[in-house]
Amino acid sequence: MSNPVDMKFLIVDDFSTMRRIVRGLLKEIGYINAEEAEDGAVALNMLKNGKFDFVVSDINMPNMNGFDLLKAIKADDALKHLPVLMVTAEARKEDIVLAAQTGAAGYIVKPFTKATLEEKVQKIMQKLAATA
Amino acid sequence: MKMDLPDNMQMPAASPEIFQQLGTLTRQLHDTLNMLGVLPGLKHTVDDLPDARSRLTYIATKTADAAEKVLNLVDKAKADQEHIASETRKLAKLIVADPVKAVASGAVMNFVQDVETTTHRVDGHLTDIMMAQDFHDLTGQVVAKVVKLANDLESQLVKLLVQAAPLEQAQKVEAALTAHGHGHGTPTVDGVILEGPVVDAEGRSDVVSNQGEVDDLLASLGF
Repeated sequence: MSNPVDMKFLIVDDFSTMRRIVRGLLKEIGYINAEEAEDGAVALNMLKNGKFDFVVSDINMPNMNGFDLLKAIKADDALKHLPVLMVTAEARKEDIVLAAQTGAAGYIVKPFTKATLEEKVQKIMQKLAATA
Repeated sequence: MKMDLPDNMQMPAASPEIFQQLGTLTRQLHDTLNMLGVLPGLKHTVDDLPDARSRLTYIATKTADAAEKVLNLVDKAKADQEHIASETRKLAKLIVADPVKAVASGAVMNFVQDVETTTHRVDGHLTDIMMAQDFHDLTGQVVAKVVKLANDLESQLVKLLVQAAPLEQAQKVEAALTAHGHGHGTPTVDGVILEGPVVDAEGRSDVVSNQGEVDDLLASLGF
């Protein structure tokens, strides 16, 4: 695993405000290296053409939603190792369970706090470190 | 309430035949709308109107909460900022009067610690102001749902208009609709429409209402 500070995040959300919020919070937590994508299709293209270590994704997006992005990542041998943290307003239990079964590393329901994001990211980082 | 009529304008008693004719016309209109395929769609759209009201209330509440939260945080940040400015002026006076005493008395170090504490607090306020902007994302999703409902209602009404209009007019309307690209899709997962923010979780057991419930659900499933 890369040095956590050097890890590169991909933030996927169709709302630029939310991308900025997540990016700002990640920076406060200590992760300054992040790029943004406005939907799943753009994100998947960026993942295939760049090196990323962590994906934070919304679900309800145009073109390709977060579930389809998650499935595509987990179906791609070169990408399936990537942890995907879902950050979404979708609060149905069936969506949460589906995300977990599809391979999401974590699920945060909006609105959320800095503490929640930090806790989930650190938890995933610890799992990554343990399996490295 | 009973309507008052002038003495020379008494309401005529409706004959049973008129009621029967009205009933027949209503039934014909209902059957015709059904046959044209307009009524089911229109009914479905109208059924969604109360939901649209809930969503608009949600938007109003979210934006009001965010505005109030930001203004309160700005007040706190400004108070902290004023505190730093005030303490800086006091320390400047002490240093000008007697620099050695200002350091020896601990005034300088106290000031440094005070600035560190206060700026940390201001940073927290700024983070909270940033977080308060999440209303844009949440209300944006809800606005999209309401816009879709308005589009559906418009489409159903236009469809009704087209069916009732002369052929030439109907063709013009249909051409205009095609040009405006009506019929945008809704995000789905495996054919299920994504719901977006839950505007009213009361009485619902199929949704979570906070992050704790998400964590409990995932933990109960071994994730």
